[in-house]
Amino acid sequence: MFAIELARGLYTTWREMFNKPVTIQYPDQRRPVYRRFKGRHSLHRYDNGLEKCIGCSLCAAACPADAIFVESAENTNAARFSPGERYASTYEINMLRCIYCGYCEDACPTEAIVLGDNYELSFTDRHDAIYTKEMLLEALPEGGSLTPQEVKPGVYTRSVPEMKDPVD
Amino acid sequence: MLAEKYTTEIQTILAKYPPEERRAAVMPLLYLVQRDQLYVDRHSMSEIAEILGISTTEVASVVGFYSLYYDQPGGKYRIQVCTDLPCALRGAEQFMEQLCQRLGIKPGETTSDGLFTVEPVMCLASCDKAPMFQVQSGGGLAYYEDQTVENALALIEQLRTEAASKGSAKRKDEYE
Amino acid sequence: MTKLVTLTIDGMQVSVPEGTLVVDAAKKIGIEIPVFCYHPKMEPVGMCRMCLVEIGRPVIDRSTGQPVLEDDGSPKIQFSPNLETACTTPVGAGMVVLGATEKARSGREDIIEFLLTSHPLDCPICDKGGECPLQNLTIKYGSGQSRYLYDEKKHFVKHVSLGELIFLDRERCIQCGRCVRFQSEIVDDPVIGFFHRGRALEIVTYSNPGFDSYFSGNTTDICPVGALTTADFRFGARPWELNKAASICNHCPVGCNLTMNVRREAASGGDWVVKRVMPRQNESVNEIWVCDKGRFGYHFAASSSNDQTSFKRLSQPLVRKNAGSDHPGELVPASWDEALSVVSERFAEAGDGLLALAGGRLANEDLFNLKQLTTTLGGEAVLYTHMAGGELTTQLGIQPGSDIGTMGQGDAILVVACDLMEEAPIWWLRVKQAAERGSQLIILNSRSTKLDQAAAFVLRYPFGAETSAVLAMLNALSEKRLRLPEAVQVLERDPTLQAAAEVFSGANNALIMYGSDCIGLTESQALAQACANLLDATGHVGRPNNGLLGVWPRANDQGAWELGFQTQTKLEDALGAAAALYIVAADPAGDDPTYLGQSGFGGKAFVVVQDLYLTQTARLADVVLPAQSWIERDGSFTSGERRAQRFYPVIPPRTAPVSRAESPSTNKAPLLIAGDEVMESPLPDFAITAMITLRIDSEARITASSAARVFNQMAETVPAFSDQTYLELAQVHEQWPIVGRDDLYYGGTSYENTGGLGMQLALNTSDTPSTTRLAGTTVEFIRMPKLGQIAFPIARLYDRGKTLMPSQLLHERIGEPYIVLNVNDAEMLRIQDGDVVHMTVANREPDSPDRVTTGQTVVVQARLDQELPERVVLVPRSFGIPIDKPTPVEIRRTE
Repeated sequence: MFAIELARGLYTTWREMFNKPVTIQYPDQRRPVYRRFKGRHSLHRYDNGLEKCIGCSLCAAACPADAIFVESAENTNAARFSPGERYASTYEINMLRCIYCGYCEDACPTEAIVLGDNYELSFTDRHDAIYTKEMLLEALPEGGSLTPQEVKPGVYTRSVPEMKDPVD
Repeated sequence: MLAEKYTTEIQTILAKYPPEERRAAVMPLLYLVQRDQLYVDRHSMSEIAEILGISTTEVASVVGFYSLYYDQPGGKYRIQVCTDLPCALRGAEQFMEQLCQRLGIKPGETTSDGLFTVEPVMCLASCDKAPMFQVQSGGGLAYYEDQTVENALALIEQLRTEAASKGSAKRKDEYE
Repeated sequence: MTKLVTLTIDGMQVSVPEGTLVVDAAKKIGIEIPVFCYHPKMEPVGMCRMCLVEIGRPVIDRSTGQPVLEDDGSPKIQFSPNLETACTTPVGAGMVVLGATEKARSGREDIIEFLLTSHPLDCPICDKGGECPLQNLTIKYGSGQSRYLYDEKKHFVKHVSLGELIFLDRERCIQCGRCVRFQSEIVDDPVIGFFHRGRALEIVTYSNPGFDSYFSGNTTDICPVGALTTADFRFGARPWELNKAASICNHCPVGCNLTMNVRREAASGGDWVVKRVMPRQNESVNEIWVCDKGRFGYHFAASSSNDQTSFKRLSQPLVRKNAGSDHPGELVPASWDEALSVVSERFAEAGDGLLALAGGRLANEDLFNLKQLTTTLGGEAVLYTHMAGGELTTQLGIQPGSDIGTMGQGDAILVVACDLMEEAPIWWLRVKQAAERGSQLIILNSRSTKLDQAAAFVLRYPFGAETSAVLAMLNALSEKRLRLPEAVQVLERDPTLQAAAEVFSGANNALIMYGSDCIGLTESQALAQACANLLDATGHVGRPNNGLLGVWPRANDQGAWELGFQTQTKLEDALGAAAALYIVAADPAGDDPTYLGQSGFGGKAFVVVQDLYLTQTARLADVVLPAQSWIERDGSFTSGERRAQRFYPVIPPRTAPVSRAESPSTNKAPLLIAGDEVMESPLPDFAITAMITLRIDSEARITASSAARVFNQMAETVPAFSDQTYLELAQVHEQWPIVGRDDLYYGGTSYENTGGLGMQLALNTSDTPSTTRLAGTTVEFIRMPKLGQIAFPIARLYDRGKTLMPSQLLHERIGEPYIVLNVNDAEMLRIQDGDVVHMTVANREPDSPDRVTTGQTVVVQARLDQELPERVVLVPRSFGIPIDKPTPVEIRRTE
């Protein structure tokens, strides 16, 4: 009786030796996330490096966890952060509060905030959980320049990009 | 400067209105300025405001409201095309566009010889005879109704000839 | 009594006075008729067409004049084929209004669609977004889809500034004209207007500086879109992120009710900061308006000890080393305990030699405790002001039930020596409106003011003859005539004065508002007495809407008078003679160095200064105590209309952790703060005073614990406050028009009053023997010097005072110090308009009034005026020029 059970158990062990392992060697290996996975946020830029975020604070309004804090200021052509009049002078997300619901992404009128696939968040201090704008901004696209930029007057007059096809 | 140059004219105009309703003289005073310098500049508006005891902004509002006054310098002749709804339905917009094209300018601009400015304006109360426009020059104003681009260009040519021969350049002021 | 008319709106019956508009009648019963251009404070214009409703009227049989009845006996109603505007249609008997029908709904939807044909979709960055009537009504009544092309929208440069205070975004304007109408209809400052017509219409200003009006900020409240926004709040925060707290304006005696919007700010290190100041409705005080000084001038109280500018707040007590010795040292930080023990010890020593000098921006509670301190010690409590006569306003002032807003036909208001527009703009507005309702407005002044335009009688007296001018009115009414100086005899014989006097005397209700235009302490005392005599002689006392009203320089001067503060005509002498000085919320040394005397307040006095900043006076003090500003605590102010009103904590008190590196101790030991950091932060004025008093006399009846307890004690002790409690002051009742609820489209973004309407004080009748009332007035008259000029102080709304300069935004409007000269004088002195001149102010005790002895010299800009009499110089107060009463000066051109 015992021998049968033992053999059955060993059979399972033996069989699994030939199967592909379900675990991976994190962090050397990383599992791809699902397409609609909602990870850490990032703030996007336009191709020329200008920030998409216009500091409208709608993400903060939509946030059910009150994790986002935005303060805004006015752009000038000599120091331009984003198109239009307004930019976010302070942008903070408290990652401990965030519930990764993605409402901020839905609320954003310029598609500036996007929940990416980064789930590697760990902190040793509660203060470190507050991500500032510098930490959230995505890397500069090729050919773009850092903000603030000095630009010609009359080019970036609109905050919300014009939608050519209103149906979209 | 206005008050010194036209002391008697101003007195005559003001005398037409009761003293407590002095502000009513704003329109004749604006005409006075416009006859003199073909448009009403900001300084003249302030002067008129001072004469009448109203704010400069109120004078400016009158200038802005009526298509009879201009706050910007323009051509000697202002061709003002009515593009309000009824006129637009009768093709006033296309008329103005084509006229401008033929003159080589955009609406609101002045021809290179400095003679003609073409601009769209609000209702001129001649809806049934659109496309229509009025021509304003330093001294007066004339209506031209049921217009075609060809008609208008002929008129412009005629005015250009008139302007060239100095004597006939001054038109009769229909308001006096 | 007006006739009531009954009509039916959406099935609800309502009875309203005849002449009421349908839109208002609906609002009264809580039915929503959306509007953009209509505003309950203004005449309807019917420009936006948003209020379209179906209106049916009973059919009247022409032959009988009786309503035609349906078969069931109900009156037959005929509906107009078109929708009508509810905002321009007055109610009619039996009218039936339908606002919720499909026809009305689709009418509104079309109007919204039209408005949006050229409205930009920049709600995310618009300061109005979140409290925008267009946004709200679009969500409620709009279709969500447009049949019009985006390309057809008008495009302009995003914002233009209408002056440096207000920004205009022309794309957002829906041409309702509320702002233009407000400026011309309500405040009579038509400095913005429409330009062009139709779609090209835009708002312009041609004034210099742009949008030159003291009321400009109100247009941003009533603008139904984000076309007009303030520079102060530009991108400051989204409206829904703001917290609110009820407060009272601290700038002038009107006591406008405010709501302060606050938020934490990263730039201030996470501190709570005031983001904007909004009016709070109180129809008896400021209605739904507030002047720009109140709206933009709050920064002085909101600044913190982290402030990098010169307006750094005090954060902890400072004590002078070796005070009293021959070699006094520096002011060094100290603990409260240390500072208070020094102060109480020295005050106790001084005994009745203590002089408490209080500024009028203190709350009632602060002043009461100060008075308690001086009573305990036998010292003197002095109000720091240039305007006297307050004790008369406590006896003959206005009393409960008074409201300038109810004055009209048959009433009279006399305004003497006062430039209301510059001193108290909201009172200017209220008085002007009273005149428009039919009150007879009489103005007595030596120079023209903006209020003249609204007056029925404008009377001019020679500079310095204000008291005589009032007595001339009294003479016109009585048999027994006082002999008046020659200079006013022309005025006395003026038939206009006679007529004005009779109108004043015969009025149902009459009010005298007196100010300190061109006069100082002595002159204003005489003026107040003359005004009191006139009121008494004409019987305009002891009834609501009658009496004497002082247009004080400070917000709570009235409170100080009610609490028994006195003035000191020879303040410099009193300061020099005192053994100990307790200077609270006043900066005499900064205002006029001559107050210091030869060696700084007599050189021997122990000086304690309690203030927000390290003022000039504080720099000379032995002990400096940091006080909280009024928005960091609660308390109450008494307005000039004798209305006690509560203010609430808006932001938490500023705390500053004590840096150990700044340890005052020589052996670098840690500060003796016992771990109690809060103790090192500023405290409320009343608490500091109470703590000092309790250290002197632990049995003293004074409390440091809460403003409410101080108020209760005050109510027990001071008869004027006897029937008041904090609870009473916090009472509200329904006000009309309804503002500040969900329906921002109706009254604008002014806040609804939930913090209390305040309560007017009862008149002080206990010590008013008739002899004091009718005490004779000395008829003195300032003689013009044979040589040189006399400077007369005038008020400017935007001054260079310590409570306004921290508001950077207003600096351009404030401008540099200047004086106004007569053209002939200027010609004689070879001075041109705009020249920089030297002005030497006579010493405080000139040997003879005709001679200018050498005094301080100030460098100012000269402005020329043709109307001014010769040898009169006008000098704005609080511009750093030490003139607070008519003073001989010598002016010379700067070479």
